[in-house]
Amino acid sequence: MRKFCVYGKGGIGKSTIVSNIAAALAENGETIMVMGCDPKSDMTRNLVGKRLPTVLDLFRTEGPDRMKLDDVVFKGFNGVHCIEAGGPEPGVGCAGRGVITAVDMLDRIGVFDDIKPDTVIYDVLGDVVCGGFAMPLRQGLADDVYIVTTCDPMAIYAANNICKCIKRFADRGAVTLGGIIYNGRSVVDEPSIIDGFAARLGTKVLGRVPMSILIPRAELHRKTVIEYVPDSEIADTFRYLATAICENEDRVMPDPLSDDELDGINEEIEVLLREREETGSNLTGDV
Amino acid sequence: MDGGKFFGAFRASSGITDAVVLNHVPVGCNWGAAIFKTTSNQFDMRHACTVMHEREIVFGGEDALREALIRADELYDTPILLVIAGDAPSIIGDDVGAVVNSVTLDAEVMWMEAAGFKGSMRDGYEEALTHLAGLMNESDMIENSVNLIGFSPDDFKVDADVKEIKRLLRDAGVEVNSVISKCSLEQFKKAPAAELNVVLGQGSKLAEHMKIEFGVPYLEMEYPYGLEGTTQLTSAISEELGTGHEPEFDIEPFKKVYLYLHELYGTPVSIIGDFHAEAMANFLNWELGFNVEVSARNVDDYFEFEEGVRNSNTTILFGSSFEQNIARTLDIPLIRFCYPVFDNVCVYDDAPYAGFRGAVCLTEAIINTVMSYG
Repeated sequence: MRKFCVYGKGGIGKSTIVSNIAAALAENGETIMVMGCDPKSDMTRNLVGKRLPTVLDLFRTEGPDRMKLDDVVFKGFNGVHCIEAGGPEPGVGCAGRGVITAVDMLDRIGVFDDIKPDTVIYDVLGDVVCGGFAMPLRQGLADDVYIVTTCDPMAIYAANNICKCIKRFADRGAVTLGGIIYNGRSVVDEPSIIDGFAARLGTKVLGRVPMSILIPRAELHRKTVIEYVPDSEIADTFRYLATAICENEDRVMPDPLSDDELDGINEEIEVLLREREETGSNLTGDV
Repeated sequence: MDGGKFFGAFRASSGITDAVVLNHVPVGCNWGAAIFKTTSNQFDMRHACTVMHEREIVFGGEDALREALIRADELYDTPILLVIAGDAPSIIGDDVGAVVNSVTLDAEVMWMEAAGFKGSMRDGYEEALTHLAGLMNESDMIENSVNLIGFSPDDFKVDADVKEIKRLLRDAGVEVNSVISKCSLEQFKKAPAAELNVVLGQGSKLAEHMKIEFGVPYLEMEYPYGLEGTTQLTSAISEELGTGHEPEFDIEPFKKVYLYLHELYGTPVSIIGDFHAEAMANFLNWELGFNVEVSARNVDDYFEFEEGVRNSNTTILFGSSFEQNIARTLDIPLIRFCYPVFDNVCVYDDAPYAGFRGAVCLTEAIINTVMSYG
C-alpha cells in the first residue's frame, strides 16, 4: 500500500491537488482512498460533489461505538474512497486532537482492512500548529510527505516549517520528504526560486501546477479537472504529477533553511516583484 | 511529588463545607481529588464533574460545563457552586466565565482556573483562597477571636487537630472564628470579624489579602506538633491578643512510657511531607530525641529523597500513603501524618496529632508502631 501526505500552507491548493491526483490515479483502476485532515472538511467536495459528513461529526453525535464504515467512507468520482476527519467549530476545542481522534476511529472500525486501498493520500492542514497535525508524520501513517508551495514568502516559510517537523521525527524512523509540488498561482510565478528552495532542502520539485482558469471553473461545478475537462493540458499535468509521486523513490530527510536563508529568498522575490512592477509585465505570467 | 494547582484549588474550595465543587476536568482528575478526600468521610461527596471525554477535548467542553452546572444546581441543595477548571479546559481554551454567566441558577456560582501545570498544589490553594475571599463581608470585630488558616478537609487528622487546637485556644481565652478552609460558607463570609489571622503553614496570601482589605493582622506559625510547638502557638496568639495566658502542659502521660522513650532516644528517622513536615521533624528531633536523617518537602526532588533515605540508617519513615513503596522496600515502618493518606482512616475526632493531646497520641502511635513491627 502506497501512502503519502500532502502538506502546505492553508489556501495553497492542497485540496485541489490531492483530489485531482486521486482522481487521476483511480483512472488506472487502482483502489484509492483520500482523507482530509483539515477542520474545513472540504477536500473531498470536488470528488463527491457535496460536503461529506465527517468522522468527528459522527463521533460527536453517535459516539465511538456506533460508528460504521459506511457512515464515514463515501465513494466519489472514479470510485475514490473519500473520508473527511472534520473538526470543531472555529474557536473552540482542539482541532489537533481531532486529527488524532479521527485516525484512531478509522483504525478502530477497520477502514484499511476492509477497503484495502492501493494508495492512501492524506491532505493535512499545513501550518503544523501543534502535535495533532503532525500525527500523520509520526505514527507510520505515511511513507513520505509532499509539500505544496507557491512562490510566496509565507508559503515558503510554512513549507520550511513542515520540513523542520519532518526532521524532528527523523530519529524515530518516521516519514521522509518526497518532494515539493509547485503551484504557479503565486504573487510572482518564478519556478526557479522554488527549484532553489527545494535544492537547499535536499529535495526536488516533483511537479508544477500552472495557473489555469479551468481549475476554478471545475471547482465551481464541484468537480476535479480530471472529471470536468479530462482531455485538457491541466488534467494531464495532474496525471503526470500523480505518476511522479507514486513512482518516486527519491526520499530525503530535509535540511530546513535558517531564517537568514529564508530572508535571502524573500529578497529574491522582492527584487523580481519590483522589476515586474516597473516593466508592467504580468506578475503571475500568462493565464 | 505535588498534586499541582488543580488539587490545591480543589482542596481549598471543598473546605467550604456546604459548597459543591464542580470540577471541569476529565474523569481521572476528579477521581483522584475524590479518593483523597473521601477516605475518612465517605458521605462527604459534595462534588460534581463535567467528566470531559475525548469529545469534549476535540469540540470543547463548554456545552458539558453548561449542562453540568444546571444539573448540579438541580441535584444539590447548596448555597454555592465552585467551578474549578483544570488542565484540559485550560489547554483547549474553554471560556468558563462566559458559560457561567450564561446560566441562571439558584445557587451562587464562582469559578476559578487551576490548571495543574500552571503551578504547585500550594499555589492552587493560595490562589483559590484569595479568590474565595471575594465572598467575605466586612464584619464587626469579635474580640479575642482568631481565624485558623491553612487547613484542608482531606488533611489527615484534620477534625481531631482542629478540635484540639480550638480546645487549647479556648483554655487560653481565645475563640476560633473561622477555620479556613474547613468551615461553612457563612463562617467563611464572616472571617473578617476575627481579631487575628493565624496562618498554620499555608494560606499567607489570603492573610495578606485580608490584612489589606479588612485590616485583620496575621501571625505565621508552624503547625503545632509537640509540647513545644503547641506552647509556641498559644503563647504567640495570647501575646498578640494581650490575653495574658500562660500555657500549662501535662507531662504525666509521657512518664508512663518513659522507658520506651528512653530506648528510642537517637532513633534514626526520615520525613517527607508538605508544610507539616518541618514542624513534625522539630517535634521528633527536639522532643523525642530522634535523629532526623533526611527531611524533605513534597516539592523537593523525590528521587533525591529516596536515595537519601536508602543511604541513611533510617528505621522509621514519616510521610503520606505515597511512601508505602519505599517503606516496604526498605522494610521499615511508615507513620502517615500528612496528605494524602488514602490507606488509613481517621474517624475518631479525639485522637489528634496536633496540640498537647496530639503529642501524646503521636508518641503512642510511634511506640506502638515500633513495638508491633516485624
